[in-house]
Amino acid sequence: MTHIMTLILLLFSAAADTLSEAYSDLWQGVQAPEHGNVIMQAMASQGLILVVLGVSLIIWFVLIGYLVRLDKKISDLEQKLSD
Amino acid sequence: MLRVNPEAVMPKLSVWKYVVILWMTAVLVAGFLIRVPEIPILYETTRNLFFHVPMWFTMTVMFAAGLVFSIRYLMGSNMRHDALAESVTLVGILFGLCGLLTGALWARFTWGTWWTFAEPKMNLSAMALMIYVAYFILRSAFDDPEKRAKIAAVYNIFAATTVPFLLYVVPRQLPSLHPGADGNPAFSDLTAPELRLVFYPAVIGFIGLAAWISQIRYRYVILPITINRLNRNNND
Repeated sequence: MTHIMTLILLLFSAAADTLSEAYSDLWQGVQAPEHGNVIMQAMASQGLILVVLGVSLIIWFVLIGYLVRLDKKISDLEQKLSD
Repeated sequence: MLRVNPEAVMPKLSVWKYVVILWMTAVLVAGFLIRVPEIPILYETTRNLFFHVPMWFTMTVMFAAGLVFSIRYLMGSNMRHDALAESVTLVGILFGLCGLLTGALWARFTWGTWWTFAEPKMNLSAMALMIYVAYFILRSAFDDPEKRAKIAAVYNIFAATTVPFLLYVVPRQLPSLHPGADGNPAFSDLTAPELRLVFYPAVIGFIGLAAWISQIRYRYVILPITINRLNRNNND
């Protein structure tokens, strides 16, 4: 438990960019998104905020889709009961 | 050939629920894309204003609705009002929890701590939530639905009267880092006026979403009651 807590604390207090250091060799050959087509360039603008928006929208649509399904299922039950 | 049974058509979704979906999607997009002023310490987390603060507004509206339904239950002893009060209160707690969790995360990266007991708004809002958790513990203590509904309604009226004091009156009298406190108003020069263009729609959108979720919960609670009544009528 304490190990997990330490790990979480480390994760949030880590200011050093260990990620790009470890993966920079692997990323070197990859074409950066700002050199891609128009859509890729747009996605890569403004500090990649559009990617965060995309992730949030995916979560939102999945959750709302589930809510719609739940709503319809309950409507179905109510309909069966009233028949 | 595909045969469609007209009676087996999937039930339709009310129009206002489509409005909630579109409205909230627009709020999400605008909340991420609107240009926010560069405020030191806050930076991009200024956008949290569109998501963290509406949690508390929504919670307050849900608890206020719970108060109304509890009073209406006591006036007419209609079990539907009890089910409504229970549903909106539960969703209010869910939104309050989201407010606490998002606030803690925001505080970690702006104030430097997940939680501090020096912050009256944090502690008092947690206290308000605990008062509402007790509402559900109280409900679980009764087997008789009528008795449960009556005692829960009385308790809910007490609980609702604490909310304005714990969330708004007392925190404003105490020194605090949290906006909306002593010498630190919620909308000041610190908050650019254009942020309101997304903030108020976000509040409305989240209240609509909460209303939808509590309506589903209410229908889930009321279904077995209807079935029981039908069974009783059949047996008579």
